[in-house]
Amino acid sequence: MILLRLISWQYTRKHLLRSLLTIAGIVLGVAVFVGMHTANQSVLTAFTQTVDRIAGATQLQISAGEAGFEEDILERVQNVPEVRVAVPVIEAVMNPQTKSQANILILAVDMTGDRSLRDYALESGDESFIEDPLVFLAQPDSIMITREFAAENDLKSNSELTLNSMDGPKKFIVRGIMKSSGLTTAFGGNLAIMDVYAAQKIFGRGRRFDRIDVAVQEGLDPAAVQVKLEKVLGSGFQVEPPSSRAKQFESLSSVYGMLANITSLFALFIGMFLIYNSFAIAVTQRRSEIGILRALGATRRQIQVLFLAESAVGGLVGAGLGVVLGILIARGIAGSLGQFLGEVYGVAQKAEEVSSDPRLLVGAMVLGVVTSLIAAWIPARNAARVDPVQALQKGRFQLLTAGENRMRRWTAFGLLSFVGVSLAFGHGRLIFYAGYFAAIFAGVLLVPTLGLWLARGMRPALKAIWPVEGTLAADSLIQSPRRTSGAVTALALSVSLIIALGGMTQAAYASIEEWLRVALNPDMYLAPTQNFTDRSFRFPAELASEVEKLPGVRRIQAVRIVRLPMDGEPVMFVALDVSSVTQEARLPIVSGDGPTMYSDAAAGKGVIISDNFALMHNRKRGDVLTIPTPGGPLQMPVLGVVVDFSDQKGSILLDRSVYDKYFKDTSSNVIRIYLQAGVTVGQMRERIAAQAGTRFRYFVFTNEDLRSYILKITDQWFGLTYIQIAVAVLVSILGIVNTLTVSITDRRRELGVLQAVGGLRRQIRGTIWLEAVLIGAIGLILGCGFGAVALYYALETSARDLSGMRLAYGYPFRTVLALIPIILGSAFLASLAPAEAAVRGSLVEALEYE
Amino acid sequence: MNKLVLFLFAGALLAQDARQIVEESQKLHRSRSQQYEGVLEVYDTKGGKNEKRWQYARIGSYGESRSVLRFLAPPLVKGVALLVHNHPDRASDQWMWTPELNRDRRIALQDRSTRFFGTDFSFEDLEERDVDQSDYKLLGEEALNGQACYKIESVAKKSRTTQYSRVVIWVRKDILLPVQFEMYVKAEVVKRLIHKRVEKVQNVWSTLELEMNDLKKKTRTVMKTEKLKYDVALPEEQFTLQALRRGE
Amino acid sequence: MIDIIGVSKRFDGKKQVTALDSVNLHIRKGEMVSLMGPSGSGKSTLLNLIGGLDRPSAGEIKLDGELLGGLTDDALTKLRRDKIGFIFQFFNLLPTLNCLENVSLPLHLRGWSTAKISERANELLNLVGLSQRLDHLPEELSGGERQRVAIARALSVYPPILLADEPTGNVDSSTGEEILGLIRDLHSRFQTTVLIVTHDKGVADSCGRRIALKDGLVVQDVTA
Repeated sequence: MILLRLISWQYTRKHLLRSLLTIAGIVLGVAVFVGMHTANQSVLTAFTQTVDRIAGATQLQISAGEAGFEEDILERVQNVPEVRVAVPVIEAVMNPQTKSQANILILAVDMTGDRSLRDYALESGDESFIEDPLVFLAQPDSIMITREFAAENDLKSNSELTLNSMDGPKKFIVRGIMKSSGLTTAFGGNLAIMDVYAAQKIFGRGRRFDRIDVAVQEGLDPAAVQVKLEKVLGSGFQVEPPSSRAKQFESLSSVYGMLANITSLFALFIGMFLIYNSFAIAVTQRRSEIGILRALGATRRQIQVLFLAESAVGGLVGAGLGVVLGILIARGIAGSLGQFLGEVYGVAQKAEEVSSDPRLLVGAMVLGVVTSLIAAWIPARNAARVDPVQALQKGRFQLLTAGENRMRRWTAFGLLSFVGVSLAFGHGRLIFYAGYFAAIFAGVLLVPTLGLWLARGMRPALKAIWPVEGTLAADSLIQSPRRTSGAVTALALSVSLIIALGGMTQAAYASIEEWLRVALNPDMYLAPTQNFTDRSFRFPAELASEVEKLPGVRRIQAVRIVRLPMDGEPVMFVALDVSSVTQEARLPIVSGDGPTMYSDAAAGKGVIISDNFALMHNRKRGDVLTIPTPGGPLQMPVLGVVVDFSDQKGSILLDRSVYDKYFKDTSSNVIRIYLQAGVTVGQMRERIAAQAGTRFRYFVFTNEDLRSYILKITDQWFGLTYIQIAVAVLVSILGIVNTLTVSITDRRRELGVLQAVGGLRRQIRGTIWLEAVLIGAIGLILGCGFGAVALYYALETSARDLSGMRLAYGYPFRTVLALIPIILGSAFLASLAPAEAAVRGSLVEALEYE
Repeated sequence: MNKLVLFLFAGALLAQDARQIVEESQKLHRSRSQQYEGVLEVYDTKGGKNEKRWQYARIGSYGESRSVLRFLAPPLVKGVALLVHNHPDRASDQWMWTPELNRDRRIALQDRSTRFFGTDFSFEDLEERDVDQSDYKLLGEEALNGQACYKIESVAKKSRTTQYSRVVIWVRKDILLPVQFEMYVKAEVVKRLIHKRVEKVQNVWSTLELEMNDLKKKTRTVMKTEKLKYDVALPEEQFTLQALRRGE
Repeated sequence: MIDIIGVSKRFDGKKQVTALDSVNLHIRKGEMVSLMGPSGSGKSTLLNLIGGLDRPSAGEIKLDGELLGGLTDDALTKLRRDKIGFIFQFFNLLPTLNCLENVSLPLHLRGWSTAKISERANELLNLVGLSQRLDHLPEELSGGERQRVAIARALSVYPPILLADEPTGNVDSSTGEEILGLIRDLHSRFQTTVLIVTHDKGVADSCGRRIALKDGLVVQDVTA
């Protein structure tokens, strides 16, 4: 501890800027980790809170996926003696045309029984108006809102509120303003209560409920009642405590969580090189200090512990700063993330405040410290091995020993052979990922050697262009691989990540566009909401048949999209008229025989699954899926596998007739319309308007609208990955700054000589700039090479464990073109401050510098 | 709704006479059918008043009766109807008809402590209940408003769930009509029901004005009975879901 | 050629140190001057001020009539590279560059053409007798050879002033003789004004004018 204060602190204080740069990698890594997870957690917490607050005294919730079920289920539940209260619920989100423009969560319940589950404490109002539950029930235009929502939108008791219902715009009367309570804070206070039977009409539910909220008889164990209810209702229903809804949402958005992990681990990984680099340099620079300490009686162990303690403290400080920064980041992005996840998954929640889990924060701190310790491990060991006699002699120790280099190369070669073997024979997950890591490790080991070759190769060209600056810049790299290889490695890894992401993006776009072209070829679409993923509203069957009869309509397909639990995860089911679809579009087949596959599916003999579902759920053609339906479990063989991007977690296509039969649900989420030749979308829009008028709520989307909508979501999704790129580049730039800071210290005398013999400031700056750009260029070149491998692994990982999408390999040359100015430019920017520092110092001191 | 007056208690034991008094009281005030118009006034703490009117009809004997309650006023609830089928052996079936929604709904009264549509009555307070579902004890005799009364304590049997720990009932000795109820939760009185106006209609002593006081919330609900008639000829068909839907 | 008018140099630290205290000197063109004095007497400081590597706290320095005080850093550098050659005790050769490249360095900095640079650098190395060692790296040379490379670098454009800071301090005495002979030879051949900082009495005695400094003051100024 004393050593730490006497020795390390002095060194740190002297190289404060550099020390800060060193831990910047940890700061960023931890910040990204904390930020993305906290934002995600906040969204989840907001969702959970909304679920909790809305749940009230509800102990169990009964649902049938998202499909809902018929009213008679309610009676069956109520007749179970262990059930104290069972209340039907419809839940939907809509955008009322109000002042605040905020979405509002509509909780529709049966008020006659619901008061025993939820406490609707009402404001008594100014004119002593006695809220009348009977009026509330008697008038379907009744709505109850929270005090917060009322205040925000200037609403009072008996105020009118227009909601765009399934039957067109409809006026509602505020018949109750709820006092602030747990319930009213759900969904950020934007909550409205209405009668469940009124809601059936408004949201196009027919005579169906979304779910039933249950409280059990006093003294009974909800888990036991859950089992009883499951038995009574059959496997088509899910009987679960309200908290499991949050789990489903979590599982739905798990891809995002995984992405957050990858990004932050990557940042930490790159950060690790910065720390390694700094410590390697520090150990070299402090050789004489170490020698003195050893001469004074410090043991090897003490030296090693000293350096490790330094790194632990650095890691702790970095992680601490990272946690703070991360929470700030989370504050910034929680709102938009919530909205984005809502749009992607069609699940409503509202993240108002950032809630950070102490476990996450502690985990992040530990992660930071551990990363720092790992990074410092080898330099600390080297420090311990310093020979006190040699250390006190002067000399250069920047060079890597030939032996060290040879060992690195042989290790790398060994690893690469393993990679080759793993690719040739390894179909297993473990061996695949082992190969992945071996490839990364081999790359890291080869960076100094490859970097050296590149620098040597570029020296003549540089000398020809900039005889002094160029030569010196190249020499600086050639002479001190230890100084530069960390930065180059970090940069190369970043670039390879970007290449991999770029390649994936390119491939994903290509596939999605192809899918859009093939699968989504109707001329126009009708949807009950402006947002395609939102399933709050549904079209009644009448609308579909009315539209079908309109002149100019060649064909319609009423599609019902629901998420149902399969293997414990919500999976998207797409129910549509398969024979009709087959005549217009055929999805690219992965396995299965085209004609029979579609005709069997149309006959209700089985389902067609998407390849990402097949991959992630490990299903293949011929497997039999058990689909939970209110009418009992439905056994359906998999007739074929097709490419379909309807959902990240995979999708299952089944014929409309099967769905209708087992779910007794004829509503639809989207109506696909094919027009007769010569009929324009505009004409049809008018005809639909004339037919539907204000009787229905609907939105018309052209083919182009939908395509751009999906591409927008895709963009947003990949937008998240740009965070990774930004973080990677940022960390690498910090690496360059760090390296140059060390470089100008090391080369102070050299630079001084240069000035003494007539080098102008711009020439001095020039050589620093060139050195930075050279590091950038080498990192870029190596990164582009590594990227080719990284892309392969990224595509495989994505297919195996993330999205299940099989994407074609294509090297993203455009990304490389874009990267050249970005990386070289950033490297140049990174060199500005060090270059200034280089020309500012005292010349006399520089020349005497030892 | 008047059945409350007649049946809110039940009988038996300890003092055999206490149970007998209750049982006798129920028998005395039974009728084959009944019809009246009711007025319900709910007063909040500030003296604000909310008034509702309805028409009530019942046929069938105690425990197996069928009744229809149809609101007449205020306009916002006009036409809303409630159909109740009582069963001797199980909870009653109840339906509600809302003309504006053009549909009926089943009301599952699983939680009987719920307030009855914003009044101070709970659904439990309005139930028909068999004498045998409670134990009775004669606490003594006490004059109430100058009338000599039996003071009887009723405690629900274990087989029956209730929100109240016990109920104390005052039954007029002369006509064996209950005139006041006090409902306890643990040791505290939470509600008091007073029969304010008692008159003889068609030779049956009947309560024409009731007042339920929620002592905790300090609100009260007054129920007045008008145009009361017993033993009216009412078609059985009127007490079905179909009739309810037709709005008869 | 070199005018030093009331030049003082103080270093600010915890305690202010006066390295030079109102020094006045006039060095004529073609003079060969030695600067002697114990450690800390201010001789290196004076040399650095004359060479424009540092700026005085007070007073003026004129080179060829041009005031250094009014020049920007870059203008100072330009003046330095046209008028002054530096020879350092520790040679200060760039370790990664070979002899030819080291000598070419100042010429490149001036932006000369490659052909001209090559010609001049070869000429200079020839001059110092190292024409056989063009592509050797400094670490492959002996101390005397390195100093000769440094001298060749200092002569790049045949500057009128040559400033040498302990040129023989880091070589053995016979090599020192050799180096000194070379400097004297160049002095007489090119009429270069030479200023040598040394604490070698022999070196000092071989100069036409001997100046001694002590505690920042000129204590002796003898012209032989």
